[in-house]
Amino acid sequence: MRTLIGLINGPEDIGRSQWFWLLASAVLLVLFLLPLWASEFQSSNIAYYLLNIPMALGLSLLWGYCGVLSFGQVAYFGMAGYAYGVIAGNLAGNTWGPLVGSLGGLAICAATGAIFGYFVFYGRVQNWIVPILTLVFTLLLETFLGQTAGYQWRIGHVQLGGYNGMTGIPSFQLGSEIFFGYPFYYFTLAITLACYLTCRMFVNARYGKVLLAIREDVIRTELLGYDIRACQLGVFVMAAMLSGMSGLLYVQWGNYITPSQVGLFQASLPVIWVAIGGREKLLAVAISTFALNWLNYALSQAGNEYAPVIMGALLLAVMLFFPGGIIVTLAAGRRRRERSRVPISANEEST
Amino acid sequence: MDVLGLIVSVLYQFATNAAFLLLAAIGLIVILGMMNIINLAHGELMMMGAYTATIAFHRGIPFPIAVVLSFIVVALFGALLERLVVRRFYGRELGALVVTWGVSLIMGQGTLILFGPFMPAISIPAGSFALGLYSFSVYWIVLIALAVLIILALWWIYQRTPFGLMARATMQNPAMARALGVNTDRIYMATFALGAGLAGASGALFAPTTSIAPLMGQQFVAPAFITVVVGGAANVLAGAVGSSLLLSAVKTPVGLILGAFLGTVALLLTALIVIRLMPDGISARLQAIAERRVRR
Repeated sequence: MRTLIGLINGPEDIGRSQWFWLLASAVLLVLFLLPLWASEFQSSNIAYYLLNIPMALGLSLLWGYCGVLSFGQVAYFGMAGYAYGVIAGNLAGNTWGPLVGSLGGLAICAATGAIFGYFVFYGRVQNWIVPILTLVFTLLLETFLGQTAGYQWRIGHVQLGGYNGMTGIPSFQLGSEIFFGYPFYYFTLAITLACYLTCRMFVNARYGKVLLAIREDVIRTELLGYDIRACQLGVFVMAAMLSGMSGLLYVQWGNYITPSQVGLFQASLPVIWVAIGGREKLLAVAISTFALNWLNYALSQAGNEYAPVIMGALLLAVMLFFPGGIIVTLAAGRRRRERSRVPISANEEST
Repeated sequence: MDVLGLIVSVLYQFATNAAFLLLAAIGLIVILGMMNIINLAHGELMMMGAYTATIAFHRGIPFPIAVVLSFIVVALFGALLERLVVRRFYGRELGALVVTWGVSLIMGQGTLILFGPFMPAISIPAGSFALGLYSFSVYWIVLIALAVLIILALWWIYQRTPFGLMARATMQNPAMARALGVNTDRIYMATFALGAGLAGASGALFAPTTSIAPLMGQQFVAPAFITVVVGGAANVLAGAVGSSLLLSAVKTPVGLILGAFLGTVALLLTALIVIRLMPDGISARLQAIAERRVRR
C-alpha cells in the first residue's frame, strides 16, 4: 500500500504537496456530489467531458512521456466503439453482452495497436513518420467506415451504417444494473479516475522512467541495455487501449457512433487538448481536456462554425507562446517561485 | 481483344497515378528535404492554389496563367507563414507538425466561413481521345508531361543554379554553409515558399478534376503523406520520383482489380512494409547505392 501511495505521489506529475491533495479531494468531492444539484442532462454533459480524458492521457503517455506523436488515437476510439456496437448488439438479449463487448473492443484496440506499432517501431523510423502514418491510418479507417452503407455491410445482425453510423448501441450493464443517466455519470467518473491514477502510478514506476529516458535520448537508453522498440510498442498499445476505453464510454454514453468520430477534425482534437494543457504532465492534460471539451460545447451552443478556427488559433497561440502547455508552464512557474523562498541558512548547513 | 488498347490503357493508368502522387507530394518533399519539417497545412495550401486559380479563371484569366498566378500567390503566403510561424520550430519537428496543423485548421474553416461551402467548378480543359475501345483524357496527358517538367525544372534549379548550390549546402551542413557565407535563413524561407508554391500550383492543376470546396485538400493528404514517407528525406528528387513510381506500380493493379479505395489501402500497407525494410525511405537507399558506386 505504501509503495502504491509513493507511486501516486511521485515526481513525474503535477502536485505533491498537502495543499494540492486537499484541493484535489475538494474537486473530487464536488464531482462526486454533482448529481445533487445538476440535472441528468447536465451530468451527462459532464460525463462527456470526463470520458475523453483517458484518450488524452494515452496520448500524453505516448507524446509527453515517450516522445512519440500519434495523430491516430481516434482510430482506436472509433474501433472500440464500433466493435462494442457489433458485439453487444449481437448479444442483445444477454446481460453480459456489454461486458463482453467492452473487453472485445479493448482487445481489438490492443491487437491493432500491436501490429501497427510493430511495423513502425521495429523499423526504427524517424520521429515524423509516426504522426503521418497514424493520420493516414485514421483517414483510411474513416473512408472505409463511410462507405459501409447498405444492408450488405453488417456483422451478425448489426449494420455498420455507412456515413449515418451505427445507432441503437446498448448501454453498459453489469448483471441487472443498466448504466444510464446518473449511474452512468458515476461509472464514467470511476473509470476516468481509475485510468488517471493508474497512469500516474505508471509514470512514476520504473517503466515510466525508461520512457522518459527514451524521450530524452534514444541511443543512450539503448546503450544502457533497454529494448526501446519493445518499450515504445508497449506504450503505443497502452495508449491504444486508453483511447479504446474512451471510445467505449462514448458509445455507452450516446448509444451511437458515426465515421466522423474518426475524421480529420476529430483526429486533431486529442493533440489540441494535450498540446494546450501541457503534454508532459498527466494532470495538465486531464484538466485541459475537461476544459476544452466544455469550451467546445459552449461554442457549439453559440453556433459552431467558428469552433475549428478558435481551436486552431488557440493551438497556434499556445505553441508559439507557451510551448510547454499552459497548465504545465503555470505549474512550473509556481514551483520556481516556491523554491526561491527557501532561506539561505539551509544551503549553509549543507557545507 | 484489343491488346494494344489494353496495354496503353494500363500504362496510361500507371502514369496518371504516378503523376497524381508526384504532383500531390512534391511541395511537401521539397520542404521536408530541406528542413526536415512536415507541413501539415499542405492540403490547405493546395486548396488555396485551387481557389486562386478558380477565382482567376472565372474572372476571364486563361487557365495556364491562372496556374502560374496560384504558384506565385501561395508561394508568397508560404514565405509569410515561414517567417511568422515555422521559423521558430526548426529543430523541433513535432512542434512544427502540430503548429502547421493549427494553421491548416484555421485556413480550412476560415475559407468555409469566408467563401461558403462551394465554388463554381472549372471544367477540364481539352477533350479526350480514343484508342480502340479505350478513351483517354488529354488533360491528364498534360499533367503527366507537367509532372516530368517540374522534376526536370527542380533538377535544373538544384544542380545548375547558385541558389541550388547554396540550398544543397544548407541541406548537407547548415552550420558550415553559414560559416561560408550562405544566408541560411533566406534559403529556408525561399525553400518553404517554393514548396508552398508547388503545392498551390498542384492544387490549381487538380482543380478541374475535382469539386472545389474548402476541405478539398483533405483528399490529397493521405496519398501525399504516403508518398513522402516512402520517399524519405535524403534526396528530394530521387525520393519523389522513386516513391511515385513504386507506389503507382502498387496502386495501378490493385486499383484496376479491386477498386480505388483498396488501392489506397494497398498504398498504406506498402508504406508500412517499406519503412520496415528501408526506414529512411527509398531516397536513402538510392543515395547509399550511388555512394557505393562512387567509392568503387
